Amino acid sequence: MRKSLKNIYDFISDHLYFYRPDLEINGEKYNSTLLFSLLTTVVQGKQLIVGEPGLGKTTSAEYICSVFYQIPLGTIWLSEVAGHPEQTEEKIVGRPNLGLLNKGIESVVWSNFVQLPVKIVDEINRLPETKQSIILDGVDRGNWQYLNEMFTNDEYCLFATANYQDLGTFTIIPPMLDRFDVMVESKHPGANISYLIASFYKKDELLRHEKYERELNKLLNDSKLSYEVKMERIEKVYANFSKHLEKMGLQPISKQKRKAIRNKIEDMELDLDANAFLRTLISELSFCYKYGQKRANEKCEEGCHFTGYLCHSIKNCISNRFPISVKLYAKALAWFLGDKQVNVEHIKTVAPYALSHRLQWREEFIAIYEKETRVDPLPIYLAKVAVDKVLERYGEQRESIKEALAVAYDISQGKQIAPLEGDHPIYWEIKRDLGGL
Amino acid sequence: MKNPFFEFKDFRPKKREIPLDKIIASKEKVMDALIKAYDRLVEQEAKELVWLVSYHSVIRAYANAEKSIKDMQYGVEDIEEFLFEIENPSRLPYPIMGLCGLYISALCNHIKEKEIVLDLQNKNINLHLLGYRLPKGKRLIVYGDLGDFTGIGLNGGELLVEGNAGNWTGAGMRMGKIVVKKNVGRRTGEDMVGGEIYVEGKILGVGNVRYGRIYEKGGIVSP
Repeated sequence: MRKSLKNIYDFISDHLYFYRPDLEINGEKYNSTLLFSLLTTVVQGKQLIVGEPGLGKTTSAEYICSVFYQIPLGTIWLSEVAGHPEQTEEKIVGRPNLGLLNKGIESVVWSNFVQLPVKIVDEINRLPETKQSIILDGVDRGNWQYLNEMFTNDEYCLFATANYQDLGTFTIIPPMLDRFDVMVESKHPGANISYLIASFYKKDELLRHEKYERELNKLLNDSKLSYEVKMERIEKVYANFSKHLEKMGLQPISKQKRKAIRNKIEDMELDLDANAFLRTLISELSFCYKYGQKRANEKCEEGCHFTGYLCHSIKNCISNRFPISVKLYAKALAWFLGDKQVNVEHIKTVAPYALSHRLQWREEFIAIYEKETRVDPLPIYLAKVAVDKVLERYGEQRESIKEALAVAYDISQGKQIAPLEGDHPIYWEIKRDLGGL
Repeated sequence: MKNPFFEFKDFRPKKREIPLDKIIASKEKVMDALIKAYDRLVEQEAKELVWLVSYHSVIRAYANAEKSIKDMQYGVEDIEEFLFEIENPSRLPYPIMGLCGLYISALCNHIKEKEIVLDLQNKNINLHLLGYRLPKGKRLIVYGDLGDFTGIGLNGGELLVEGNAGNWTGAGMRMGKIVVKKNVGRRTGEDMVGGEIYVEGKILGVGNVRYGRIYEKGGIVSP
């Protein structure tokens, strides 16, 4: 199954999405956009892809989803939601079945966006802030509500793309941003690869199949069919399309196999170092000695003892969705790489992409790094700097931190010993958990 | 709620070993061995914690001391450390100065280093018999005062005492050189058969010298 996933990655990078690698893990080079997009489809995550117009933000997601779920590209295009100020809930989620309504029956015609497991919101930041809330719940839980009906996706992933700020964009509201597991940038591939892309402008055709696209469109718009029957028939078309993909050398992954992969990923465990490092990172992003925790509306006090830690460089508190995202993607990455357990390297790789859109940095911190030479956009670069700093601190006291956690366990079991003392916020957090502060 | 520390319940920290810890541990190991060997010597030679100096007892004790330190790995700093332990009753409960002097002499005679410097200043010990059979090629420098029988049977080495020495200094020495910066006691050079003794202070008394020379304040006093 791992080979099938690697096969998808290789197929897309060889034929569809040309890039420069920007990520090195265990000595192997990857492209962050492609790798995280693949992991997003596998773990059913939510990914925000940022970048300049025309650099493959949407197409990378489309290719990955088409191959992973075996959905023809044309069908995916039809299900996409485009961000613009005139968007309405009726266009995104569903609309009343007017025919039935005339007969006095209330029924919902669900949009393709809701029905398909692949959800792509193109240029999400062109949706006004008020309209972003329309997709908030659906994005978070996979439950879509319209009138009194609810549509639940048993399998889904979400990709949203965003251009950098221009005259037509709005800001993405923080609760929406927080719901994205990861943020990546689709980068310019450089002059030479860009030149090559121009010679392959018809590459979309590889994933198109008009017959199956027509069949799927018909099925998706057939409101007379019950959900179960509709999905059964749709799955059959997917299966037919997967045979078309097989002819190109791809090894499509069936729904059962996808479920098996997810179970395997779920079963992956974090080794103690990865576990302790993640706790250390979270402690720096949430701890405040003075006010109990970080709060966006409270200013960090000057001259605080903890100014050397990240808590002093950020304004807001990291949400509980952050560790969920990191664990999920780190497990998927470890499984994809064939590692037995999630280690610090996996956490270190994933964390910046799960952090970059969730943190609000203080101006002083930004001022230090914004002019530095880099290949990543500033938010991702700052998140990488931050994670590296925490990793350095963790490296210096890894045994102590693990011992402090082990001692905390003994204390929680009634052993009469003192918690381990240390300067890092993690020690203070442990003491707070033990009721010592 | 699940215990948030549960995953660490079996974690036991690896004992962190910094280079200094390693050095200290190895030094302690050496010191333990040195003390153990000395204790053995005391057991063999001082039955009732009394050891009387005689021609035969010195030869026998030295032979036993040599035997007890055979194959032992130690350095000059370990000998110096041993000098500190002489003052520590919890580590060395029976510091018999004659046996200590012989034992340290054996340590000095078998060490790899050519030059050995021992500092006895500010120590409340009065070592006898130090420098016994110091072989050719070795130089032993002692800061502080020494007791009786200093440098007896000296065997070609050079003994420099930056202080006083007691009676019978250089007795029976065969060859080599003893320099005492301050005073020495009676019977200096008794039965010596070669070598030279230089005393820059006063000599209380010169013994029966067979061969060899004794100087006092730069002037020859024997023969």
